[in-house]
Amino acid sequence: MKLRRREAGLGWGILALYLCYTAVFWGYPFVWMLILALSRWRFVGKPSFVGLQNILRIFVDSMFWRVFWNTMNFLLYFVPMVFVAALLFALALNKMKYFKTFVTLSFLVSYVSSGVAYSIVFQRIFSEIGPLNRFLYNTFGFTIPWFSDPQLALFSIALMVTWKFIGYYGLILYSGLQAIPKTIFEAAQLDGASRWTTFWRITFPLMNPAVVTVLILSVNLSFGIFTEPYMITGGGPMNRTLTFLLYMYTTAFQRINPSYATALAIVTALINFSLVLIVRKVVEREVSFE
Amino acid sequence: MKRFKTVLFHTIMLFLAFLWLYPYLWLFVSSFKPSAEIFTKVVPSRFTLDHYRFIFTMAEKMKRPFLRAFMNSLFITTTVTFSVLLTSTIVAYALAKLRFRGRGAVFNFVLFQMLFPGFMFIIPLFVLIRNMGLYNTYAAMIVPFLMSSWGLFMLTQSYRSIPQDYIEAAKIDGASTFWIIFRVMVPLSKNTISIVSLFTFIGVWDNFLWPLMVVKDYSKMPLSVLLATFNHAYAAYVGPLLAGSVIQTIPMVLIFLVFRKQFLQGIALSLK
Repeated sequence: MKLRRREAGLGWGILALYLCYTAVFWGYPFVWMLILALSRWRFVGKPSFVGLQNILRIFVDSMFWRVFWNTMNFLLYFVPMVFVAALLFALALNKMKYFKTFVTLSFLVSYVSSGVAYSIVFQRIFSEIGPLNRFLYNTFGFTIPWFSDPQLALFSIALMVTWKFIGYYGLILYSGLQAIPKTIFEAAQLDGASRWTTFWRITFPLMNPAVVTVLILSVNLSFGIFTEPYMITGGGPMNRTLTFLLYMYTTAFQRINPSYATALAIVTALINFSLVLIVRKVVEREVSFE
Repeated sequence: MKRFKTVLFHTIMLFLAFLWLYPYLWLFVSSFKPSAEIFTKVVPSRFTLDHYRFIFTMAEKMKRPFLRAFMNSLFITTTVTFSVLLTSTIVAYALAKLRFRGRGAVFNFVLFQMLFPGFMFIIPLFVLIRNMGLYNTYAAMIVPFLMSSWGLFMLTQSYRSIPQDYIEAAKIDGASTFWIIFRVMVPLSKNTISIVSLFTFIGVWDNFLWPLMVVKDYSKMPLSVLLATFNHAYAAYVGPLLAGSVIQTIPMVLIFLVFRKQFLQGIALSLK
């Protein structure tokens, strides 16, 4: 009995460390988030309560809708592109016999590139006089305005982000592939299933947990894009690369409206969250290897 | 025929691997090219260290102290990584191995915390940092990240798989709690600890938005932010910019290569 009491004392003693820290650096901001979203405040004085005004204003804010459609547009480019490429990468890796480690590391090293540094690099590689346009000009006789065309700019950013994440997502899918027992494939082969049928009827459905993980990661990532447009386009041309985070940042620190920016953050998180729920609802299946 | 197919397939994969490495190769080679040849020649007439020299000497006069920024980044990143490891290894012990009422509730709270995306909190957190008088200090970049609910979660999961017998045996030998944590639990969770350090290090080193918000003195900026301000003000200095990007990239790539085995295991873990 005494021993148990001592164990509880020790446990709560250690947890107190965590709980106190969390109360200050998580609890306090959490409360402030709610206060800010419901009031008007410009970094000085006391916040004045305005109820749901900030939230309601978002829905008539034309810039918010611009950002919303930009993000949907980005999702439409990025998610299918990165998913298909990562899936092909995972399948190819599964087939490789030689240089497997080298290829894996080559694709993964882009994942650990620094956001600022790779933005600087891609801005130069994709620039009017950059190596990519020079190559296009020399072989096909035309150049592409990667970051200056309103529609292309967002696509170019999606390309960069795809470059960065294919290796990481591909490996998640690859480990999902590895988790499937080999005997299942042998059984399918004995039953005379073609490769195509085997993939769509057996392999892909059994990879479901990995597929769901990759889809959720890529959706969450799309809502958190900041460094690339900040560094390369500044949100332009014609606000077509303005993302939620960039809009939030400029609202809070350039237009000095932190309360509206906080309301934006909450609405953004809600949209993000509902999209993740939809993905889970549509894609997620119970998988067992019995 | 089959042999030909195998060779072709591997050649294509190797080509793709080089294509994926190309931005890195271009960055690295270009940072050693003379300024006039960066966009004009694939193979430069000579290699030069001018851009690196510029970054470490001239940039000081342009109020962009790169060397100092590199040290700032190193200091901030190692402090945060060390603190996350230390706090997670201790707190996870209480969450995984000590038996008492309320433990489950706290663990659920950790999971609950992980549901919220970080961007929801940055503006209120900024308000907190300003109210604490920490705006434009190193502390602003360190203190909010001393503990991580993700690190705590990972280590708790790892501790749970360690048999209780090990702890009982150590207790019989008269081991103290901290001896058990650092001599029994930590060595048995090496993989998880490597994963947590790797991701924390990369996350902090590459963090951009937060230091951009809380620091305004060039002398206190981490490398990521300093490089960004240099890009905005002196975009025409392509050579030095690329040299700066190489310096910003190297620590991340190095730590990735050192921990690559754990990294690969970490990806498999993230599925569970």
